[in-house]
Amino acid sequence: MKVTFPHLGSMHIFCKAIAETAGIPYIVPPESSRKTLTLGVLHSNECICLPFKMILGNFIEALQMGADTIVMVGSGPPCRLGLYDLVQKVILEDMGLHYRWLTIPPRLTWQAIWKNHEETKELRKELSAKNILLFPYGLWMGWKKMMACEALEQLAMKVRPKEIKKGETHKRFKKALSWVDEAKTPKTLEEGIQKGKTFLQEIEQDRSRIPFKVAIVGELYTVMDPHINRGVEQKLGELGVEVTRTSWFSTHILRSLRKNKVDRASERIRFFEASKAYLGYDVGAECNVSIGEAILRSKEGYDGVVHLMPFACMPETTASGILTKVAKDWDIPILTLILDEQEIEGRIQTLLEAFVEMLEWKKRVA
Amino acid sequence: MEEKGRLGIPRALMFYRYFPFWQTFFETLGWKVMVSGGVRQKEKIVYFEDSCLPMKLLVTHAIQLKDKVDHLFIPRLVSLHRIYIMCPKFRGAPDIVRLATERKVSIIDETIDLRKGGVSLRQSFLKIAEKLGATKQESKKAFLEAEKSFSQFQKEWMDRINRIPTEQLFEMDIPTPPEGREASWRVAFIGHPYNLFDTDINKDILTLTKKLEMEIITSDSLSEKEIDQEVFDLSKEIYWSSGREIVGSLFHFLSGEIDGVIFLTSFKCGIDALLQEFIKRRLKVRGGSSLPLLILSFDEHTGREGLMTRLEAFRDVMEQRKENFKCQSSHEVMNRR
Repeated sequence: MKVTFPHLGSMHIFCKAIAETAGIPYIVPPESSRKTLTLGVLHSNECICLPFKMILGNFIEALQMGADTIVMVGSGPPCRLGLYDLVQKVILEDMGLHYRWLTIPPRLTWQAIWKNHEETKELRKELSAKNILLFPYGLWMGWKKMMACEALEQLAMKVRPKEIKKGETHKRFKKALSWVDEAKTPKTLEEGIQKGKTFLQEIEQDRSRIPFKVAIVGELYTVMDPHINRGVEQKLGELGVEVTRTSWFSTHILRSLRKNKVDRASERIRFFEASKAYLGYDVGAECNVSIGEAILRSKEGYDGVVHLMPFACMPETTASGILTKVAKDWDIPILTLILDEQEIEGRIQTLLEAFVEMLEWKKRVA
Repeated sequence: MEEKGRLGIPRALMFYRYFPFWQTFFETLGWKVMVSGGVRQKEKIVYFEDSCLPMKLLVTHAIQLKDKVDHLFIPRLVSLHRIYIMCPKFRGAPDIVRLATERKVSIIDETIDLRKGGVSLRQSFLKIAEKLGATKQESKKAFLEAEKSFSQFQKEWMDRINRIPTEQLFEMDIPTPPEGREASWRVAFIGHPYNLFDTDINKDILTLTKKLEMEIITSDSLSEKEIDQEVFDLSKEIYWSSGREIVGSLFHFLSGEIDGVIFLTSFKCGIDALLQEFIKRRLKVRGGSSLPLLILSFDEHTGREGLMTRLEAFRDVMEQRKENFKCQSSHEVMNRR
């Protein structure tokens, strides 16, 4: 048995840590690339959302490398993410690839148990008692690493706009992530985190610079994965913008565990409440949060908002319509970037540069 | 009864299924129901948001009506089934229209969520009536009337589709003619009701097919059980009621005694895009149907020539299949001799 999982930002570090600690054989799919996306595009159609294509590409590449068991997060209605597995299974079958599929349900329901029954029965045969006993420890280790990755990324977002040598932060951030990834024991992990943090803080910075503050909102996959959004976070940072976002892997895990009280998750409830002036109902996924966050960020004195969404995303399309009004009502520049399979990295760079110039101009006039 | 005012219903989205119900309900309450006209060529579609064509048409129709009516009726359709839900865009539709009309017209956007139980439809409509200032008794009566006329309408629906021009399908004072034309082909039309019956979306494909002597069948003729039978064993439940209906009825018709299946989708419809891929792949993997299947995707283009060509080709395929079938059976007869 060889387990594989899709890419989502630095989620592979989390999944890898679980599998490694519990002693389950695994294959990390190759880093998402143009080839991954091309594979996904080839086996779907133009109006299916971009995350679907990227994830499908990840699976195809991993299966070709010898993986045989796919672990995929499930989600509930109303967004399409909840039916990814149904469609991707048929596509892989049609391609003649062999696989077993395990969907982690968003909530433990009878349907989830019933529909996953066959797969789990077989998996249980292949997993040893040791694997199962070590699994909770693996989860703990994975969670620790996840939190470490997020802390490092937040630090990088703070440091990046002030760096003197362009691109230095990104290089060091990658390095720091690899230390976290390579740690095998809680002790080495702790050392890795500390080392990573100081490594990032030691970057030569121009501390007198006051960067613009911009919030990134939108569909979670496009917000979290730099391969999907063509590094919007990094690009903005290197243009001298301090970026914030509230959509993190851990936030969504906590949300589905119904632990809404934990700091970052509770912030999202605040956003949700704020969106009620424009939206009378929970549209699903990130729609309401995107709108609410834009409103509150404007009140908090942010300079702008970047809204990311995949082409034809159902909930975010509603959000983007409403955000044009929010931008006018609250006088905050909002840039909506609709992402699809086209090679638009250069265009995004230009759009972001123009956006930052506009922020500068707005500040001068005010 | 004196007229209480004007109530506007945009000719878009679920209008194409529930209009008879809505009309009777509001007219019994004493309101004059105003329906928007088509977009046709002169007036332009309003692009308030970058959504699918049906959603853009909702905004366009609502703007057409906004100065002529006292209220606009755009219910927030969360779920029209006891388990399954509608597309998420429906949840934000009233809000989008409110912003597009610059909050200048009153919008009745009562939430309709049938997952809450059997009486929730009634409760929602009683609340709507209350907002319009009707008494409890009046509203209950109106609801019963609406239910009655809707079920009458549903009985005649299949005949209506085949015997009345598409644009008059929902004009309730036009009775269904007792006799239709002869048709040589029976073709199932699958898709969201607005894709099937909105001539602004589908360029009046139904009239074209009627000209080609095709009889139209839709999923409305199937019972819920027949649809469920085709989809209950999927590895995951399709949770959109419309998506479920599309996949279920499509597989049902493909294994049935008809000549062909046409699936109408609109460009950028999230549900259709995903399920279309599922349908294609599953047919390839499982096989089992030799019926011709045509998938047509519509957007703002208005030309009908391409559509006509595809339909004619589709008819030719059906013809070829019938002939092959005849040859085959005569072969069998020969062999037996």
